[in-house]
Amino acid sequence: MGTDMGLRHAFVALLLVLAALPAQAQLRVFACEPEWAALVRDLAPDAQVTTATSYLQDPHYIEARPSLIAAMRRADIAVCTGASLEAGWLPTLLQRASNPDIQSGRPGLFFAAAHAQLHAPHDHVDRSMGDVHPEGNPHVHLAPDQLPEIARALAERLGAIEPEAAAAIQGRYIRWRSSWNRLRTEWRDKAEAIEGQSVVVQHSSFNYLLRWLGVEAAADLEPKPGLPPSASHLSRLLAEPGLGEASAILIASHQDPQPAEWLAEQTGLPVVVVPGTVTDEAPIETLGGLISEIIRQIESAVSGASNGGL
Amino acid sequence: MFNRVVPFVLVPLIGINAGVSANELNPDVSVTLDGYYKQNDTALSHREEGFGLGHTELSLSSPIDDLFSGRLTTVYEEHDGESDILVEEAYLQTNGLPAGLGVRAGRFLSQVGYLNGRHMHEDDFVERPAVYRALLGSHYYDTGVRLNAVLPTPFFWQVGAEAFSGDQLSEGDEDIGAYTLNTRVGGDLSVSQSWQAGLSWLHNRQVSAEHGEGEHEHEEEGGHDHSHGVSYTGENLYIADLVWKWSPNGNTREQQITLSGEYLYADDLNEFATSDDFHEGWYVSGVYQFAPQWSAGVRYGEVDLRKAHGDHFHSQSLEETDVMLSWSHSHFSTVRLQYTHQEATGFSEADNTVMVQYVMSLGAHGAHGY
Repeated sequence: MGTDMGLRHAFVALLLVLAALPAQAQLRVFACEPEWAALVRDLAPDAQVTTATSYLQDPHYIEARPSLIAAMRRADIAVCTGASLEAGWLPTLLQRASNPDIQSGRPGLFFAAAHAQLHAPHDHVDRSMGDVHPEGNPHVHLAPDQLPEIARALAERLGAIEPEAAAAIQGRYIRWRSSWNRLRTEWRDKAEAIEGQSVVVQHSSFNYLLRWLGVEAAADLEPKPGLPPSASHLSRLLAEPGLGEASAILIASHQDPQPAEWLAEQTGLPVVVVPGTVTDEAPIETLGGLISEIIRQIESAVSGASNGGL
Repeated sequence: MFNRVVPFVLVPLIGINAGVSANELNPDVSVTLDGYYKQNDTALSHREEGFGLGHTELSLSSPIDDLFSGRLTTVYEEHDGESDILVEEAYLQTNGLPAGLGVRAGRFLSQVGYLNGRHMHEDDFVERPAVYRALLGSHYYDTGVRLNAVLPTPFFWQVGAEAFSGDQLSEGDEDIGAYTLNTRVGGDLSVSQSWQAGLSWLHNRQVSAEHGEGEHEHEEEGGHDHSHGVSYTGENLYIADLVWKWSPNGNTREQQITLSGEYLYADDLNEFATSDDFHEGWYVSGVYQFAPQWSAGVRYGEVDLRKAHGDHFHSQSLEETDVMLSWSHSHFSTVRLQYTHQEATGFSEADNTVMVQYVMSLGAHGAHGY
């Protein structure tokens, strides 16, 4: 009897706590990847942002964990890449969270890839090609020329979700845009030094940026997109004629470094490990800072390699 | 020259575009191929010895409009040389009703327990734990309706209720033969660790209505039940489940450890049952995905059952240990080697066995749950 009353009191107290919780009027954003969380913070610094993944995680392989369902349930808008990048987990999250605002086709679900021109779309896709996205390469957050359009569309969408903040968001977008243009000019200058070089990659994570820089992807450590590097594929790579021209092996922080290190031992190429997306630490907590850092690392590896070679 | 070439270039382009847009309106088709070789027959098993096909599924799913989506799953099964095609799922699901509510109606897998709501091809072992095979027929699905609510709490909290015809559990005259209540909570302990716990109650109203008279069959001692129906029932089934997952930095691609366990208890077995007559069982399972393509796992489970024979019961119990190693070349193909050790009382077919299984998925591959 006594415990019964105790339980009832505890339950009432819990209900009161819960009732008090949703009283904040802050914009709540669910970002599928850290790059979009960073962009949202640039446009709406007051927003409460939950990020589903980190730079140490492979965004293809995230689980629809309970904490993510709860965050999606409470959010006003979800900002994701799209183009099937999150096909393994986002549909489950959307269904399980049953948030009426965040469903496909509704304004609360923003896909960055829908506002970009994707490279390498496929008319025909089958699984023997590996994990190929028919829409094209979804890793569009490192495309210097595509980001402004994505940011513009995101600013417009955030403004539509929170009309009272629309003017402020638009103002921040214009400032973001001019600083992006300035950065892009800097990157262009740096690109001259590394244009025409080639690197070995693992997956198509950096392809947009490499293409923009004029750096060629000489070979891919993955035998097929999405398949982990295998011993037989790596030894086949050694015979690849393009490998001799390559000046570095570029992989992302969330990838297992062993295959790249093995190839580095065989070839003497330097391994460059860069975050595939923004991290919590300055200066790579923004997309601009991230791209600057990736270019700096490629540049130093490439110049180091050519110095060492001479 | 240019003029002559252009129309021929355009024709295939137009053709491809038309094809893509029509395809997008078609439902997603997915096929799961499940085949195995099993060295010996085992107790309470749904898989016979020798070569066999397991849970071979054909599934169609699609959004219906902006409010509904739907799914149809048919399963092909073979038992004693007879083949069956069963409809396991045929349901509509709402997308985003207000207040975090979700409704599912039609035929679907009940959400009681941790494993029951999952598709069999997502499992880490060849068969479900013994207690699931005995009390839920491996996976309990039925025709009915579900209402779920995700509460707006800072952690994950879901409550749900289901009403079913109950005919997949036991025969009876009730229109609504079974009810379930379920609640689940969960969250993250750190970047690397996440957890979920659940409590479920399955109320089978047709157990008490069932009369044991006609079922006084002693001949199938230690019965090897080939049907996928539930072989042991009770008026009330309670399930508690707990799952904990760990992966370095939360990067499940490279490595992951999954520990899960469930406890099931069923009472009020029939009109002759006393308070000493109940079914009870549990399992714990640990699976370590130590490389992107490789997993190894161990599972131990027990079940204590009371088999009805007219007005009395016979005790049966089974202890089962499974060890498995699996290799997934891609996300869509898995080959598994498993050794199962059984110790039993009241089951004549308990045995140890080696199994080799493949699970291949063709076509669309739906997103997996936690």
